Amino acid sequence: MKGISHFITGVAAASCFPWTVAAAQAGSPLYFVLGAVFGLLPDTLDFKFYRFFYKHDLYVQPDPANPDPQPIADAMARGIEMARTEARDVRIKLSTIRLGADYWQQYVIKFDPVAGEVRVKFGPCVNTGQVPVPGTIPKHPRIGVARLAGPIDQTYDAVTSVDIFDGPSFSFEPDAQGRVAVHFLPWHRTWSHSLITGAALGLLGAAIWGWRAGLIIPVAFSAHVMEDQLGHMGSNLFWPITRRRFSGLKRMHATDARPNFLTVWTCLLLIFWNLYRFAPNPLYHLSLWDVVFYGGVLPLGLFGLASHLLTRGKAAETVVIDVSKEESDAMMA
Amino acid sequence: MSILMVLAATLVGTVLSSVLSVLPGLHAYNVLGLLIMLILWVQSLGTAVPPDLYLPFMVGMIVGWAMLNTIPAVLLGAPDESALFTVLPGQKYLMTGRGYEGTLITAVGGLAGVFFLVGIVGPCAPRVLPVLQDVMRPHMHWLLWVVITYMVMAEWPKGGTTGRHGWAKFFDAWTSLGAGLATFLLSGLFGFIILYRPVVSVDVAFQNIMPAFVGLFALPWCLLNIFSAAQIPKQFIARTLDIDGDVILRSVGAGGLGGGFAAFFPVITGGIGGMLAGHATAQRDERVFIMSQGVSKMVYYVGAFLFLFVPGMNLTRGGAAWMVQALYNPTGYGDYYMILGSIAIAGGVSFLMMPLLARATIALIGRFNYRHVSTVALAIIVALVFAVVGWSGLFVMVVGAGIGLIPVLFGSRRLNCLGVLLLPIACNMSGFGTTIAQRLGLL
Repeated sequence: MKGISHFITGVAAASCFPWTVAAAQAGSPLYFVLGAVFGLLPDTLDFKFYRFFYKHDLYVQPDPANPDPQPIADAMARGIEMARTEARDVRIKLSTIRLGADYWQQYVIKFDPVAGEVRVKFGPCVNTGQVPVPGTIPKHPRIGVARLAGPIDQTYDAVTSVDIFDGPSFSFEPDAQGRVAVHFLPWHRTWSHSLITGAALGLLGAAIWGWRAGLIIPVAFSAHVMEDQLGHMGSNLFWPITRRRFSGLKRMHATDARPNFLTVWTCLLLIFWNLYRFAPNPLYHLSLWDVVFYGGVLPLGLFGLASHLLTRGKAAETVVIDVSKEESDAMMA
Repeated sequence: MSILMVLAATLVGTVLSSVLSVLPGLHAYNVLGLLIMLILWVQSLGTAVPPDLYLPFMVGMIVGWAMLNTIPAVLLGAPDESALFTVLPGQKYLMTGRGYEGTLITAVGGLAGVFFLVGIVGPCAPRVLPVLQDVMRPHMHWLLWVVITYMVMAEWPKGGTTGRHGWAKFFDAWTSLGAGLATFLLSGLFGFIILYRPVVSVDVAFQNIMPAFVGLFALPWCLLNIFSAAQIPKQFIARTLDIDGDVILRSVGAGGLGGGFAAFFPVITGGIGGMLAGHATAQRDERVFIMSQGVSKMVYYVGAFLFLFVPGMNLTRGGAAWMVQALYNPTGYGDYYMILGSIAIAGGVSFLMMPLLARATIALIGRFNYRHVSTVALAIIVALVFAVVGWSGLFVMVVGAGIGLIPVLFGSRRLNCLGVLLLPIACNMSGFGTTIAQRLGLL
């Protein structure tokens, strides 16, 4: 999920504890701020710290002056071959291709386990908003193909799009059956997304701010981890007991607008309800049903209805590279 | 007679504001402050000024400004704080010859914001907002701290994208983040100083923050435009906009939430509303992003003023509401409906003014070198600050510009400059602002 969803979830989680609201009424923002911080902390740890120190075996830096997809495909295939022959994890880091202050060359990577190939295809130039610039699809060569040294097991999306800011990482992990598991962003959602890490941080928080904070911290932290489990990548829920990321439920992508908006709205209602029910002398009297109906069902229902009426009959909006098209693209097949 | 007076006052206020909005650096609140002083002076002479005259005029001023201050932000590169998030995507439009389209999309957002306020907020507010106000009243202080936490934590590193792992990569990434944190803290310190040791005279005390905001937000952009010597390509006047109902609906969802949040809660400004709207928006569609900024700006400025008139609430938010309280206390549904009607009329008129003024501005920047246009914009800003708050205001503006240049130079988020308001006021609301001011030697 997006940062704002995790953040507001942490605040909502903190609001469920009566002492949070009581402290806030007495003038202390501590517990709410702790909920907010630890709601966002797992991603902060990964994206602001850990990824810069994560060691890779192969670094692929395409030349912006002469962008060619074949060396990228070759490097990916080489990484898988290294994993097989050396029987160890091999990590590869791909860089983005910056063409100007606001322009980036987009490319997509697709593993095809059936054909035993990895394909890299150059798309259009995009701006930092990931909007393609018309007329910028390169002429030749557009596609690089490399054969894989053996069977692979894809653990994330079949197609990875690379465009703005930082490029992705993959790790190739061989197994006893001779297959190589392909993991996306191996540095993400590992120790930082473990429920045990959350509990340890809770103990640390309890030592610093007392047992009440020690309860809020793991709840806000775990809420983040559980929300991420709705997606595709999953998390390493029990690091350091295991090194394995548990697969997600694949119900959504992190940037999907609707589930993010729904999460934010639901959390706002939950915060409101908790502030109301823990208020000493509320002027108005509400039931949970009032809040759910007038705050949730009615506005979201009307919004959903309006959205349905405005988008019916229209094909789902494509996002940068249409994966379904990619699957049937004759050049890629 | 009264209806005609309301209509005429709304129209005059809207048209006047629309024209003034094109001037970079001038805020509608500066003009409203002078207007209030004028009305108080007239009343001191024994001549009554009817509220049916000045309230719709004020509504026209606020709506017109919220709609059209996109023009200096996008076409002249001199935004105020609330238009901050419109500048970068707006300038992308400008640099591809689509500046007109960018401003018009934001204007559609503004008009959608007017519909949202009049059609949805208007009927619901008297029943919903007093309940919300009652529950939230003891909780305003921690909301500020939570917003500050989000501002600081939600800035992601832009560097550190190439090269091998290690400290070099880490420091490259943290250059912009460190600059962002430094900007926030320095702005906060600056805010403490101008709050506890105001340098503007008592006569214009309501303009205290104006030179700081101009220095922090508008001046760095003007300087950047002057020194980068950007060449603006020929601008294309689009006949249609590539938008549909779904884009508008999504913009209203995001912008209404962000702008409404900023309008309802104290000290949360339009810029923060814009940030929330931006984060709640799918970043991949620039149309939704830029339009949601138009919605957020309109809902923030006009909503904050409208809340003063919501029966049973009397919520004072935003500079205009604080200023108008010196003249008038709202009396019930009559005032509320008058304000809603004025908002609707002003929204329509100011939207129609947008193409005219956007074309005129585009003609201006097409005729003259953009660097010269930016230099003139800078001169106007400096002259306005001097006219309103004098030499001391210019000093505050220059200090603000020094801080405002940090994010420009290091590529960090410019919204961190809002520490100037957020930090001292959050500290005050939590009860330790005075202690910090004492430690800083300000008391």
